[in-house]
Parts: sequence; structure tokens; C-alpha cells
Amino acid sequence: MISVPLFSVRDLHVWFELPDGRELHAVQGVSFDLHAGEVLGLVGESGCGKTTTILATMGLLPSSAQVAGEIRINGVEILHGGESSVRPHRWRDIAMVFQGAMNCFSPVRTVGSQIVEPMKLHGIAKGADARRRAGELLEMVGIPAASAERFPHEFSGGMRQRAAIAMALACEPKILLADEPTTGLDVMVQAQILELLGSLADKLGLAVVLVTHDLPVVAEACSRAAVMYAGRIAELGSVDDLYHDSHHPYTRLLFAATPDLLGEDRVASIPGAPPRLDREIVGCPFRDRCDSAIEVCASEEPLLHLVGSAHVAACHLNDLIESVTK
Amino acid sequence: MNSSDTSEAHVMKDTDVAPRPPILEVRDLTTYYPVNRGLAGRLLRHEAKTVHAVDGVSLRVDAGEFVALVGESGCGKTSTVMTILGATKANSGSVRVKGEETVGRTPREMLPVYRQLQMIYQDPYGSLDPRFRVSDTVEEPLLVHGVGATRQERRQLVLAALESAGLSPADLYVDRFPHELSGGQRQRVAIATALILEPSLLLADEPVSMLDVSVRASVLNLLDELRRTRDMAIVMVTHDLSTAGHFADRIVVMYLGRIVEEGPAKEVLSNPQHPYTRALISVVPKPDPRDRSTPQTLSGETPNPVDIPVGCRFHPRCPIAREECSQSDPPLRLPVSVRIESHRVACHLA
Ligand SMILES: Nc1ncnc2c1ncn2[C@@H]1O[C@H](COP(=O)(O)OP(=O)(O)OP(=O)(O)O)[C@@H](O)[C@H]1O
Ligand code: SF4
Ligand SMILES: [Mg+2]
Repeated sequence: MISVPLFSVRDLHVWFELPDGRELHAVQGVSFDLHAGEVLGLVGESGCGKTTTILATMGLLPSSAQVAGEIRINGVEILHGGESSVRPHRWRDIAMVFQGAMNCFSPVRTVGSQIVEPMKLHGIAKGADARRRAGELLEMVGIPAASAERFPHEFSGGMRQRAAIAMALACEPKILLADEPTTGLDVMVQAQILELLGSLADKLGLAVVLVTHDLPVVAEACSRAAVMYAGRIAELGSVDDLYHDSHHPYTRLLFAATPDLLGEDRVASIPGAPPRLDREIVGCPFRDRCDSAIEVCASEEPLLHLVGSAHVAACHLNDLIESVTK
Repeated sequence: MNSSDTSEAHVMKDTDVAPRPPILEVRDLTTYYPVNRGLAGRLLRHEAKTVHAVDGVSLRVDAGEFVALVGESGCGKTSTVMTILGATKANSGSVRVKGEETVGRTPREMLPVYRQLQMIYQDPYGSLDPRFRVSDTVEEPLLVHGVGATRQERRQLVLAALESAGLSPADLYVDRFPHELSGGQRQRVAIATALILEPSLLLADEPVSMLDVSVRASVLNLLDELRRTRDMAIVMVTHDLSTAGHFADRIVVMYLGRIVEEGPAKEVLSNPQHPYTRALISVVPKPDPRDRSTPQTLSGETPNPVDIPVGCRFHPRCPIAREECSQSDPPLRLPVSVRIESHRVACHLA
């Protein structure tokens, strides 16, 4: 691609030091690019490292975590300088809606005063100016500006989630990381929130990373998605390619485990569980649950290879197919 | 009101289905919760208000039938199953489990009913006592109901229940504590506990919504298999229409405490008659991006069941409402363009 991506993550690794001194390798070499106005899905089972990945890009991991790799915003690397190089970008360039954020408002203060907070903190606006801006932000996410004077408990779950998004947008970031923004909401409210994220990407040119464990949500709301497994990206491509031209057994099995509204196919679970991340993984991390594993899967780690246009997958079968067709 | 037509439904069913008594028969069930008026409200003597959580629900479930109760949060799905369970008090109406009336029973009088009726909950993390081993949890119903004379006998029943819930080999799991199990395994322990008395009816409130997709299918396939092999009836609350369509025989759509549509699962999904059902279906995300359709998002959320709209309770959000919709409450009846005679809808325009 010719243009420099707005947001670029390269070979990101995160290790957590466990209380007993061992290490848990939560993120193991994740890379992706994101352009303005794009919605990228980050999807995978619980514990695969989705939240850790985006917390790392915000520089918000606890001190027990060690991070390596590169994170660039408009080409500028922000990770190597540590906290002092991340801080100027956090909330101003890259902002986040936390998993469960809608339940994290303080019950004793109005929603508006809580949205004003980050603006004051980052010197964006204060006083009447900040309050006016809080009203505008609420309007932007579909809540009447006057509701700024109300308390969180007077909002429904869907409205609180919108307010959490408004708060993340307080400092006009270019990149929004949304961690499970629709989990726990019902279908109708979920559809409204996804519509909102899509229109923010469209209208503001916001680049959105949508973290979810729900494949249909990704198919509905994203243009591209990365399927994560055991701290790594198993496959990344357009949502159309992932569904119609998957090059990784995990992606295929995940779709087969997902019921489709009028689909007739039997819904099949994926036996077993993801591997532990506090031990070294030899071979393919998906090997124990894979229905297509071959001998090499037990000994060699499959690396991400290009399998189509802007489509990569990490599975030995792809090399096999390539060598046969050659 | 919307009860007369359900008896019509029964007449129809009784004529073409073998005359086996239903496992569950609910008639005109209502459950009201008092609303906390707050101190100011009480001082000012504001009228005491009630939430009409379940507002005239009639439902029949036959042996081996898998029924899904769907709708937005707050529509009364959970209140309906909790009232059937007797955990929430009914205000009026009737609940018969294998022909026996259960409304108005004391917890003590409910006890024998629980040999027939069991429940599993949404949260596999909260529903197990962290201090109890799997064996203790699963054995508990046996002790309560005095089943299994000896320790040895009960142990065998526990192992068999774990095996049938898919925790196999059972002795690998039986002595573990909840924190030593995955979410899917915990939900299987809850299922084993619910199954050990071989109930004829299982109530399940969002049993898989907190589990990973890869695990969901195994729990749902297990429930499906159990109702087939044991003729156990299942009433499952879910807001996931895709899951309902795949596993349920019948879908019951609720809105503000009422059933607004019900019928065979495939029929309700492929030929929905109520505008609310149509809206719900339109917002279900599809795994195939080529299936993307324009979602008909309804504005707002389920209104507060304290102020139930006059007329059709859906009319303020309804995209096709006409004048009559704000005046009279549509009964649950056969749709005009009926394709399957067990289909019911409560809409003036269907
Ligand atoms: N502070 C921490 N200390 C040690 N391990 C951690 C910490 N935070 C996360 N982990 C581990 O890192 C791995 C990745 O966790 P993460 O929360 O990123 O997963 P996730 O994909 O967001 O999962 P979920 O879908 O459940 O939110 C898991 O094995 C988790 O147990
Ligand atoms: S590399 Fe081997 S084990 Fe891994 S997904 Fe591919 S076929 Fe399966
Ligand atoms: Mg997470």
C-alpha cells in the first residue's frame, strides 16, 4: 500500500510475570494495519489476547507486563520511548472503550460531568466550553445534549454504552479501540451500537478496532478482521474472504460452531480448549483441536503467509497446497 | 384479552396430536412487582405502581419439546420462567406441571414438583458454590429428595449424571472444585445437577450466553440430545434468535410481558407475522457478510413495563402502526395468511 497506515502494530509481544515468577506469553507477535475510516475486527475465544493487545497499544498494561514490538501512529513509533512516548498520544490520538465500560460510570455524578473530565485532564477544554462540547459529543452518539445533566442510573444499558463511546471521543482521537462494546446487550441495542460505530468511522474518518468473540458481529460491522488464537493471529483478511475463502481450520471451525439464522447445517463445537500460555508452545498452537493436522504441525510453528490479496493465514496446509500446485 | 384464542389452539392441537397430557401448561399467568416509590413518593402518597413483568401468558409444552422464549431484555422472559419455577410469586393464573397446579404453593409444597422441574442459569461462574466439590454439588438434589439409599449408590448416580452431561470420564471431574473447571465444564456440572433426578421439564435461562462459541454448540447439542433420548421438555430463554432457530421446535416471542407471536421455529423465522418479530430477525448479525441486510433497528428500547401503552403495547415503536393499534389490544390468534395452524400472532395487521 502506498499511503502510510494511520495505525500500525508490528510483531507485538506481551509477557505477564506471574506471582510465582513464571511468565505468561499473552501476545505472541501480533501485527496489523489500519487506515482512517476503517473498522477492523479482532475476534477469538476468551483468553486469546484481544484485550491485552489493545491495552498494550494504549500503554495501559499493569507493571507486571513486558511489551515488545512496534506501534506506529501516522508512521511515528510510540512504544520504544515507554510511558513518556505513549502518553501524548493516549486519548488524544488513540482512545479506548473498555470491556464493561457501560457499567463503570460513577453513580453519584452526572454523565456530563464525567465526559468533561478527560477534556479537563488533557487541556482540551474547560468550564462552559467543555460542557457545551460534552453535549455535542452526546448528540453525536445519539443522546439528547440535555441528558448530560442526568445520572448514569437514569440511562438504559444501551445509552450508557453510547455515553462510554462519547467519553472515549472527548479528545477527538483518530483511532478508537472498542473492547466487546455489545457483549451483554440485547440484539436490538447491539444493532444500534454497531450502526453508531460504523457511522462514526464513516463521518469522522475514525479508525475503529472492534474486539469481540462474536463472528457474526464482525461479519456485520467490519471490513477486515483478524482471527486470534493463543496470543497470535491465525488468519487476517476481508470478512468476505474469512467466510468464503478461509485458509485456516480454526476460522472454518469457528464459523461451523456459529448458528446461522436459517442455516440447516449442524452446529458443531470445537473439542478441547486453547493451550496454556505459560508454557512454550511447540508446533501449531491449534494442533490439538485441529481436524486437519499433519505431521509437521506437531514440530514446526506455522508462520503467517500471504494466501490471497491482503489475506494472510498461519497454517501448514497452505504451504502444502502451494507446493502441490507448483 | 388474549386468552380465549389459546384455548382454541388447544382444541386444534388436541384433535391432531395424541392425547398425552402436556408436561407444562401455563394459563393467563401474571407476575407483578411493586415499584419502589422512594421516600419522596411515599411521603407525597403517590399511587403505588407495579411492573407488569408477566401480563397474561399462556403456554403449553409437551414431552420432549424444545421451546425457546425470545425477546429484548426486560420483556419478561426471565420473569416467566422464574414464576413457572415458583421462585417468583404469580399474581394470578395457573401453572400446571404434569397436570398438577403449582401456583400458590409454599416452598415446602413445591419440593415434590422439583423432581419433575429443574432449572439451569446463565452464569456458570456464579451458580456453583466455590467451596463445594463437583460431587457435593451434583449429589445435593439426591439428598434433598431422599434418592439413593447408600453413599455408594448416590456416587454411582452422580458419576452417571456427569457422564450424561458430557463430563467424561466422570472420575476425572467428580472431585474437582469449580475453579478447576472451564466455563463450559461448569455449565455441564450445572446440567448434571439439574438432570440427576431425571426431570421431565428443564428450564434454562440463557444457558450458553456466557460461554465461548466453540463451547456453546456442545452444551446446546447436549441439551438437544437429552430431550430426544429422555423425552425431557426444555424451555430455554435466549435473546439469540439463531440459536433458537437451530435448536428449538417452537419459538415464543415476548414483548412487554406478553406473547406477541409463537409457532414452529422455522416458520416463525422464515414467515414472521408480527412487526416486532420481523424487526428482531432483521437485526440478527449474519456470519456470511454477503447476507448483510439493512437492519430495521427500532428506536429506543423496551419501554418501562410500569407504563404499558394502551392499545397494542408495541404501537409506539411499530413501523406499520395504524390508528386502531393505539386503541385496542390485539388478541393472540391465527394469522390471516396462515400456513401452519399452530402459528399465533397478536397484531391487528397480521
Ligand atoms: N494481568 C495479568 N496477569 C497475568 N495474566 C494475564 C493478565 N491479564 C491477562 N492475562 C492472561 O493473558 C491472556 C490473554 O488475556 P486477554 O484478557 O487479553 O484475553 P481476551 O482475548 O481479551 O479474553 P476475553 O474474551 O475473555 O476478554 C489470558 O491467558 C489471561 O489469563
Ligand atoms: S498448522 Fe496444522 S494443526 Fe495448525 S491449523 Fe494448520 S493443519 Fe491444523
Ligand atoms: Mg477481553
